Amino acid sequence: MKTYPIIALCLSGALALGASACGSDDNSDSSSSGSSSSSKQLGGTINGAGATFPAPVYTEWAARFKDKQGTTLNYQAIGSGGGIAQFTAGTVDFGASDAAMKDDEEQAAEKKGTPVHVPTVLGAVTLAYNVPGVEKGLKLDGATIADIYLGKIKKWNDPAIAKANSGVDLPDTEITVCHRSDESGTTKNFTQFLADYSPAWESGPGVDKTVKWPTGTGAKGNDGVAGCVKQTDGAVGYVEQAYALQNNFTTAAVKNKEGQYVAPSLDATSAAGEAAKPPADLRFSTINAPGAGTYPISAVTFLLVYKDLCKAGASSKQATLIKSWLDYALGDGQKVAPELEYAPLPDAIKAKAQAKVDALQCNGKAIATA
Amino acid sequence: MTTLPPVSARRRTTDRAMRGVLLALTLAALVPLVLIVYYLVKEGIGAWSSDFFTTDPTGRFLGDPGGIKSAIFGTIYMVTLASVIAIPLGIGVALYLVEYGKRGAFAHAVRYFVDVMTGVPSIVFGLFVYIVLVVAKVGGTFAAWKGAVALALLMLPVVTRASEVVLNLVPDSLREGALALGAPRWRVVLRIVLPTALPGLVTGSLLAVARAAGETAPLLFTAAFVLGTQFSPSERMNSLPLQIFNDVGQAQDRLVERAWGAALTLVLLILLLTLLARLVQRRSRLT
Amino acid sequence: MEAGSITARGGRSILERSSRSRALDPALRYGLTALAALILVLIAFFFIRLFVEAKPAFDQFGYFGFVFDNNWDVSRSIYGSWPLVVGTLITAALALAMGVPVAIATALYITELCPRRLRQPLTILVELLAAVPSVVYGLWGIKVLAPKLKGPEQWFSDTFSFLPFVGGTVSIPNYFIAGLILAIMIVPIVSAISREVMTTVPTENKEAALALGATRWEMIRLSVLPYSRAGISGAAMLGLGRAIGETIAVTIVIGNSPDIGESLFSQGYTLAAVIANEFGEAASNETHRAALIAAGLVLFLLTLGVNGFARYFVNRAERGERTVPQGMAG
Repeated sequence: MKTYPIIALCLSGALALGASACGSDDNSDSSSSGSSSSSKQLGGTINGAGATFPAPVYTEWAARFKDKQGTTLNYQAIGSGGGIAQFTAGTVDFGASDAAMKDDEEQAAEKKGTPVHVPTVLGAVTLAYNVPGVEKGLKLDGATIADIYLGKIKKWNDPAIAKANSGVDLPDTEITVCHRSDESGTTKNFTQFLADYSPAWESGPGVDKTVKWPTGTGAKGNDGVAGCVKQTDGAVGYVEQAYALQNNFTTAAVKNKEGQYVAPSLDATSAAGEAAKPPADLRFSTINAPGAGTYPISAVTFLLVYKDLCKAGASSKQATLIKSWLDYALGDGQKVAPELEYAPLPDAIKAKAQAKVDALQCNGKAIATA
Repeated sequence: MTTLPPVSARRRTTDRAMRGVLLALTLAALVPLVLIVYYLVKEGIGAWSSDFFTTDPTGRFLGDPGGIKSAIFGTIYMVTLASVIAIPLGIGVALYLVEYGKRGAFAHAVRYFVDVMTGVPSIVFGLFVYIVLVVAKVGGTFAAWKGAVALALLMLPVVTRASEVVLNLVPDSLREGALALGAPRWRVVLRIVLPTALPGLVTGSLLAVARAAGETAPLLFTAAFVLGTQFSPSERMNSLPLQIFNDVGQAQDRLVERAWGAALTLVLLILLLTLLARLVQRRSRLT
Repeated sequence: MEAGSITARGGRSILERSSRSRALDPALRYGLTALAALILVLIAFFFIRLFVEAKPAFDQFGYFGFVFDNNWDVSRSIYGSWPLVVGTLITAALALAMGVPVAIATALYITELCPRRLRQPLTILVELLAAVPSVVYGLWGIKVLAPKLKGPEQWFSDTFSFLPFVGGTVSIPNYFIAGLILAIMIVPIVSAISREVMTTVPTENKEAALALGATRWEMIRLSVLPYSRAGISGAAMLGLGRAIGETIAVTIVIGNSPDIGESLFSQGYTLAAVIANEFGEAASNETHRAALIAAGLVLFLLTLGVNGFARYFVNRAERGERTVPQGMAG
């Protein structure tokens, strides 16, 4: 019977591990709530899911939000398509998408209530490339990028690329195209840009959260595309700027509407927002915005909530928490965004967004700000 | 007495060549094992630290990525819950098949369907639980207990099959002797058959537990993914395989390193369970 | 002692049982029968529910259309799963082609050729391959194996480009890598069952071959292999079933491209991988969800069919129906 003591030992070891884990968890909680005693501790948990495009800034916000008021925010970055789907299915408290909901998507969501789009930040969709020897700032325009993604341009030293980049020594390497395999708002914004400059793209794969890619490797999420670019020499992929910076990718300077080659930067992204004139429901896009210093593939990203949170299934406490999260996003969060190279909303748009948040209801009544 | 003709040179060469091929292929089968262990240790140990096991993943893009505490806890929690469901059920069905059903048509059908269940891909179990429990919003949406149910469905046929084999090995003479002494049937089953087969039953169950600990697909859309450690079965819960799956595609090196560290942890956990199972098997008087 | 007066505790005859004791017998019997019935109900429910949820997709595209249409286009809501089915079949075929010979070789080596004291360690080593979970295979596959093999794959592709399905650019995640990982994963199962079958070969058959002057290899070829043929086929089919259903390792290394790739070294997709990748986006889209569940159903039926065949072969082997070894006939 000597084996049973061994089993007992292992089980108690596992329990001890669990117990110690519990112990350390308590310690960290008490220390964090002690430091931020100035603001009211609401606690609770909010679940959200959606775009990977703003995931870096949302998760940073989540950490600071928890420090501020003790609420845990679980954000699952599964892509804009997933975000809209989960939001419509009611399995999350809020959704996140870089692409405004299409009419048929809005219709599906109407069963639970009126969906509200709350813009939060602007980000840059960069063209990141992994070509050894080629420095940052390769000049690419919409038509060339479209041809690369259509598979018409197959090598880096193709004349079309060389034409805009005289003086750069382009190698004879094959281009490996990296794109998204999941439904993505980043894809929608990127394909919108391509369609504006390439009739072949518009009539071919078209503009959507997912398209039939003529060539290339599919990866999940912005992080997946970043991984794809990183692991192959000669790869090119479209990723949000934070991902490119994190991995020290070289990114291209893209030709904008005015004919200027602009590299992605905080200022260039903000410039795209300045010119935007959103409609009443705030479903707008900043792709190919005018302005000499504008980065043409700048995209705005949204948080999705129902106008009447409680009718859609949230408890009144949960509704208060969700509203406080949105207030944070449009308030303190805007100051945090530039740290990760996301552009805050222009004042006019921010005011409109805040008005939408203030108008959120719980069973017909306004939600008290915590 | 005729003597056998000597083995021709050609036949001798073929013999040696084929034996060489068989040895080479056997070694070829072991090469991946060696490589996997090598890389697991090489890349995974680097990630290990006391913080690795005691902090949750933070999900933060910059700054500290955190450890895998919630993943370890989640795996232990959900696998334990799944075992509580699947093991008694599996042993119960095996008992029925061996003691009461035997060769009947009903038992035959049950055996057939349990066999069918062993072949079902684990993702189909996850899909089933997703449809029946998550989409139908039975007690909330994603939840740890639903992940445990999916794992239990996976474990059930394994436990049943293994238990049936072991229970069949209990000699009939034991049963007959007890019955002859006037013990009621239920006492024979519970006090004679089960204790004799116990080491074998434990072995089979531990192997099923080891299998469940490594599964990712059933948890994808049932327990979902969450960063923090939480103890409620009706909320989402992290797990080691899911944590690895999420970190695998990342571009950031330290996240990939965390994936290796978590992989090493998971493999060690499974090896521990398998080792336990084998140790217990040695104590069995039946096999 | 008089016959019939053996007493148990409490002085009563053991032939008289308390009513509690009498009630427990049927209680246990019916309880366990109910459990077994529960399993049947569960599986029936499982199959029916899957079918009901998948029906909208079959209604829209037709049973044949869903399986054989070569167009999986999520953005246009067109769900023809042929590229996924082909991907599943290609990777499984590659896994069989590479894994089964190796598994049979290990089984033969362990049972017939290796020194006795190496038998147990070698068996344990091969079984350790089964202890590695699927996600770890995927991690190792995409981070170690795929990048390292890209060079040799490109060389092979360039040198042998005259062969069908070879030639062109090699991508890092591709059918071949997926097939290779699957091959490694099925070796332990196929090997274990083959070994079991080979140990049942009667020693007389083997001794007879040796006595007639056969070399070791000839003995294997004449006595062991023909005898174990049915069992090995069964083992191979079980391996095939496992390869078809494998999800996570394949998702990580196949490239997730819903088209039929041109060469062995292109990206592809499988039925299991598409479910894992797209379920999250299908949460609210009825057609997409039905299509994914239909894909799961097709997958389930494929594995069901394959495993059915496997069980038939393994049963035949266990019942001892064997053909006369070819070399000895006539």
